[in-house]
Amino acid sequence: MDIAKLLNAFPGAVSQGIIWGLMAIGVYITYRILDVADLTVDGSMATGGAVAAVMITAGYNPWLAVIVAFLVGMLAGLVTGLFHTTMGIPAILAGILTQLALYSINLRIMDGKANTAVNVNKYHVLVTSRNVRQFSVSNPIILTLILTAVLIALLYFFFNTEYGCALRATGANGAMARAQGINTNVAKVIGLMLSNGIVAFSGAMLTQYQGFADVQMARGAIVIGLAAVIIGEVVFGKLLKSFAGKLVCVSLGAIIYYLVMQIVLWLGLNTNDLKMLTAIVVAIFLAVPHWKQQAQTRLHVRRKGGE
Amino acid sequence: MKKICALVLTLCLALACLSMAAAEDKTYHVGVLQLVQHVALDAATQGFQDALTEKLGDKIVIDVKNASGESVNCTTIANDFVAANMDLIMANATPALQSAMAATADIPILGTSITDYATALDMDDWTGVTGVNISGTSDLAPLDGQAAMLHELFPDAKTVGLVYCSAEPNSKYQVDEITKFLTELGYECKNYAFADSNDVASVVESACECDVLYIPTDNTAASYTETIANVVEPAGKAVIAGEEGICTGCGVATLTISYYDLGYATGEMAYEVLVNGADVAQMAIQYAPNFTKKYVAARADALELTIPEDYSAIE
Repeated sequence: MDIAKLLNAFPGAVSQGIIWGLMAIGVYITYRILDVADLTVDGSMATGGAVAAVMITAGYNPWLAVIVAFLVGMLAGLVTGLFHTTMGIPAILAGILTQLALYSINLRIMDGKANTAVNVNKYHVLVTSRNVRQFSVSNPIILTLILTAVLIALLYFFFNTEYGCALRATGANGAMARAQGINTNVAKVIGLMLSNGIVAFSGAMLTQYQGFADVQMARGAIVIGLAAVIIGEVVFGKLLKSFAGKLVCVSLGAIIYYLVMQIVLWLGLNTNDLKMLTAIVVAIFLAVPHWKQQAQTRLHVRRKGGE
Repeated sequence: MKKICALVLTLCLALACLSMAAAEDKTYHVGVLQLVQHVALDAATQGFQDALTEKLGDKIVIDVKNASGESVNCTTIANDFVAANMDLIMANATPALQSAMAATADIPILGTSITDYATALDMDDWTGVTGVNISGTSDLAPLDGQAAMLHELFPDAKTVGLVYCSAEPNSKYQVDEITKFLTELGYECKNYAFADSNDVASVVESACECDVLYIPTDNTAASYTETIANVVEPAGKAVIAGEEGICTGCGVATLTISYYDLGYATGEMAYEVLVNGADVAQMAIQYAPNFTKKYVAARADALELTIPEDYSAIE
């Protein structure tokens, strides 16, 4: 139990957390704003990674690769959106179907290979876990923080436009939104596209960071995304109440998630139990708001009774 | 706000600690990063541990961490090992090796259960050494040995049908390689490539015009062994398989590598690096030291084959 080792591991956990924070912001758009649990992300994150890996190894600029990954991710969201709106498939099932199809598509993108290496010695990549302990601008924490700030600023701007408000209205109260003349189906599709674009973008960053794209790399991503959203709300929800603040919460939630994971590893617990521990951590964070509310209600009742 | 402050302070503290390298111990610390709980990978890790423990006893501390099938966890674990300043990292399976490579350019990394390092690390001009902080062992199937096995069991056969899936570049490579060995032994080889489940039966049907069939380590074929068995068994043709799974499903005999031995060999390489200061960048990738001959008793009986005694039956 060497505390220095743990602290030495924190920069890596933080940068991994920031990258997953980008992904969690995508999840926030569907889960909180649109009020849809979108499972496409387990596929679209890997799609983003696959696109980035193939393009970078083919010699394209990594910035171009992440932009194309974003666009391809939007296509994935479009498919889920169309499944949901024009074919009347429940949102959760539509996401599962797209996720299923994306497995094959991701294999196609990577030319039939389940795994594509992105050798950091050979290609110019935007971020790599190798530099995470360096005091220089090539430290991935710096670039990912900037990207997170830019993304939050753009989303803040977008969701304050007239159409952004219509999107929020769609999630808040669909019937009311329709009554206001908003085409809620189109709004849902747009929201899903935006969300999956961001998720694929995060996958593209993750591929560069970890040095490979794998067809299974985003298995269980939705759990991490939701965990980040909820942890962020529980821990920082009281402090940051504005829309942009909430997105910051989500990013911080992802960082906390990875710090907890790193601590669990540092404690030397059997990694075979890792998934169970993840489930317990997420369950506790999910339960906290519920318990709080219950306690408050009880307190309220007791106070009233005392009057 | 307090919490944010606390977080920022923790980060600063973390960064400040970077320069504080962990105190040098006399014992060696090795981290094992395994992709998933899997029979073959578990065996390799076990062999690795056994080799190092035999050689170094209590002078070695091995920390085995399993990513539980989520390749993303590999990065988290690799980060943990690098932060702990391990003397060596053993990466078991391809994504594990790739994460470790991305995480450090300094700590020696040994891979195992990797088929082809040039592909896994995306290296051009492959020379057998990586030139960076990576070496290890490969689980590539022993194609020359498999050709010799076919010759041992079927010395009188004339033609060999090579059945594989056209969508798998690895299979094509194996088929091309084994053709060289089989031709040397005097066999005539014919390729029978199928595309998917729709044409596998008919392709195997036409391959049955050959005396013996060979199927390399092919993931698609491995999924359709039932279909293949339903064609070759009535036709009375024998299949020599590239690996145990296919052999169990539709083959009569195979020559497989032992992942335990592979892990053990990796452990011996680790000893060279840790104790004798071998330069990992110049260590050649090693291949499985010995292979196990296995056969399926029921099919051998049906074909009235006499299996030599050094073969062990697949349960």
